[in-house]
Order: sequence, then C-alpha cells, then structure tokens
Amino acid sequence: MRPTKLDRFKMQCKLYQFWRFIVLNLKILKAVDHSKRA
Amino acid sequence: MAKVAIIGAGFAGHTAAMYLGESLGKEHEITVIHKFDYFGFVPSWVWLGIDAVKAEETCFKLKPIYDRFNVNFVQGKVTSVHPEENYVVVDQANGGGEASVAYDYLIVATGAHMNYKATPGLGPDKFTESICHFDTAVKARDAYLQLIEKMKRGEKQRLVIGTGHPLAACQGAAFEYITNIHTDLTQRGIRDKADLVYLTNEPAIGDFGVGGINVVKQGGRIARGGDLIEDLMEEFGLEKGVRRGVKEVDEKKIYWEDFEGNFGEDEYDFAMLIPQSRGVTFPFFNKAGEDISSQVTNPGGFILADGIYGLSYDELVKTPDAWPANYQNPLFNNIFSAGIAFAPPGPISVPHTTKNGTTITPGAPRTGMISGVIGRIVALNIIDLVNGRRMTHRERMSEMLAVCIASNGKSLWNGQATVMIIYPVVPDHTRYDNKEGRDLFVTRVERGLAGAWLKQMVETTFMHKFRGRIGWQLIPE
Repeated sequence: MRPTKLDRFKMQCKLYQFWRFIVLNLKILKAVDHSKRA
Repeated sequence: MAKVAIIGAGFAGHTAAMYLGESLGKEHEITVIHKFDYFGFVPSWVWLGIDAVKAEETCFKLKPIYDRFNVNFVQGKVTSVHPEENYVVVDQANGGGEASVAYDYLIVATGAHMNYKATPGLGPDKFTESICHFDTAVKARDAYLQLIEKMKRGEKQRLVIGTGHPLAACQGAAFEYITNIHTDLTQRGIRDKADLVYLTNEPAIGDFGVGGINVVKQGGRIARGGDLIEDLMEEFGLEKGVRRGVKEVDEKKIYWEDFEGNFGEDEYDFAMLIPQSRGVTFPFFNKAGEDISSQVTNPGGFILADGIYGLSYDELVKTPDAWPANYQNPLFNNIFSAGIAFAPPGPISVPHTTKNGTTITPGAPRTGMISGVIGRIVALNIIDLVNGRRMTHRERMSEMLAVCIASNGKSLWNGQATVMIIYPVVPDHTRYDNKEGRDLFVTRVERGLAGAWLKQMVETTFMHKFRGRIGWQLIPE
C-alpha cells in the first residue's frame, strides 16, 4: 500500500514526527526489555 | 584464574569484552585480539562514503578503553586456532612476530570477511567500491568526490549501488548508501547529472534478507513495508534492478543473472556493491596438526553453534528453535561465536535457484544490534561458567529485535530516515498467530524526520556505550 497524501503530510510535520519519535522509542524499549531479560 | 580470549573487536567482540572486563577483568585474564587498534562504528561509514562525516569521528582507539576495563589487547591477525590444546596463534601487528594466546574460553567474533574473490572483478582492489571497512569506505568517498567533480563539469554519471553476489547480505546498507547519495547530490544541485541504480539480489524491494517486513496499518489492514521503500525509490528517481545476482564485474560493466535465469549487464561509472560474506579465514587444528575446520565451521567459515543444521527451508520456517540460543559450539563447548561469526541454520528469505542452477538468495542479516546482543549473551554465559554456575542466558534470532534505520540525509531539521523495526528478526509462527510470524505491534516500517532523530540518538548512545562511559550498561545493544 502506497503512502497517501495524509501519510506524506505526516512525514513532514515536525509535531507529528516528535510524537512518532516517542512512540518508536517505546516500541523499541518494549522489545529490548525482553532481550535484557534473556 | 580463568583465561578468556576474544577474536575480533567489532560490535559483538567489543560488547563481550566490556561485560567480561567489568565482571572478571580484575581477577581473571581477558584478552582481545583484533586486526586494527581501533573500533569502527560501521553504520557511520555510509555517511563517510559521501563525505558527510569525518573519518576520525567514526572510530576510536581500543587500548585506552581496555586499560580501564582490565582487558589485555593484542593487535594482530589470528593465523590458527588449536581447540584441543586451547590456544590461538596470532601474527602480531607492527612486526611484533608470532604470539600464542592461551584460553579457557574462546569467543570468535570476527564479523564478516568480505569475500570479494567470489565475484570476479569485484572489490576495492579491482573495479568496485565498498563501504564495508574503514579504509575501503575512505577510498569509496574519494572516488565519489572525484565523480562529483565530473558531474560539476557537466558529465553525466551512472552509479550502481547494491549487492555484488547472488548470496550477498546487508542490502540495508546499500539502500541507505544510495538514498544518501541521492540526498547529497540534490543538495549539491547536480542530481540531474546522475543516474542512480539499485541492483539487488532480493526477491522484491524491501525484502532486506528478512523475507520482507509487513506491518499493520490503521483499521488493522496488513501493508507491505516494501511498498513504502518502492515509493521512496520512485520519488527519488532510483532505477531498480531487483532479483539479480551479480556474477562478474569488469572495468565498464556489471554482469548478472536474474531469477528467471536471464543474463544481462549494466554499465557504470561508479559502483558500490556488497560482496558475499564469509566467516573465519583461519584454520582449526587438532593435536596431531590436522585441519579440523570442517568440524567447527560450516563450508562458509561460520562457526557452528547450538542450532539445528541441515533442515530444508520449509522445515526451518516451522522450527524457530533451530536458530542458536547460547552460541556455544557443539564440539568444543568452550568456544562461542558472537555476531556475524555464528553459522545461521539457513536463510530467512525464501531461497531461489534459477533454471541455470544459480542460487540467488539474500543472506540472513546480522546487524550491529543483533551482534551486540549476542556478544552480551555470550559474555554473561561465560561469566556464569567462570563463577561455577550453569549458563542462564539465551536469545535466538527468532526472539530478537532488530532496528534498521536507513537515513536519507543527516540533517536533524529536514533530514529523513526510513525506520524498520523487526520483531522478531526470524519469524516465529509458533509464537505469533499471524501470517507474518511477527509481533505486529512492534514491527514497523515508517519514514520521516523522527527516523533521522532516532538515527542520531542511536549513534550517539552507541558510541557512548562502546567508549565504556558512565552508565554504558544501561544503554541497550
């Protein structure tokens, strides 16, 4: 599925990107938490 | 007093050395053997290859770090390993002569040996460039800068970036390099003077050797991560040469065979093609002096670990436990492999053989993150063993997270990166009840400025960790 116009807007929007930065970090930390307990 | 020897000081070896040094360094003997006297942060060499970062910013000297961690450092090249007598022979750098390093536990963390010879004409000594090593990345940068001068004079140039062997891995690095070249040429105002070609052995764009990354979109729809990559390539005007295994390179052309068994060629002015990777290049000898390498490594030189080998691809897909968990060699239990050095039980991507009998399959990627995790697991298990406990740490690639951040531009204001979060790296259909065999809450592919911030954050924190600075243990691999 190709990015929509809204997706492209989101790629440029700094406020949205700041939100994604936080979300991506949380996703990574969720998986890393499992790894650290290995 | 236990002796632990580590061959290699890349992501895996250096991580293992820091954990071992901190826990055992004062009472036991930890020795790192490495070809170079520096640690190189490989992901930054993509930027080094376009002159976006200074060479010295991507490396630091190892000895001062190891002095703090009570780890001995030997700069040299291992020439043989004697697993029945527990010693390694090293040809020391700077004319230091031959030395023998005894061990009770050995970690082989040699990374990938770039096997340029597997493709005639490939490599920095022949006709193509490589960003896989520090010195070759510097050479690639110099060649790229010469190309820029030609483009500034109005000469049109054709740049081919991708994989240089039907079995090559690490497509992510090639993808990142070509998108950075696009951004750099655009900023220099000469993008119209370059044809950029992405040549890859992947079965489809976005496969990256992990069988592709499918993600959940709004409304629960499953979307192909590769579509986002294809969209980016179209936007950047990148030509695609997919499903192609490079067979040979000469001064002007790259010769390939595609999935359908057709032969073709591409002209180029500048090519950066990633070669096939091999494991260790040194032999293993028994007490009688006989070469027993075939009992310790697979035919590619990768060290056999506690995985299940010899399964067909279909069986392997159904058996995530076939992937090694503690990376211990089954024949010599005091030998561990970390990072790229361990033998994977097979590819993650679907293998393909052409009608001419050529196998074109992207190799299983083992990124810096994966290498670091394995380095930590191996170190913690050795700490357990030295302290008289049983090994308590394990993590298969079918349980492991990987984050790949392919930047397009370095700026934190208007840069971008494609972030690929893959969990687990090897799909586990027994644990995740979906077609992808992955945790679809964590697995993501997205593009934006957040990726550029994430890339910068990862580079800064990793360098902090690898320099052993305060709180380094808290930073995940």
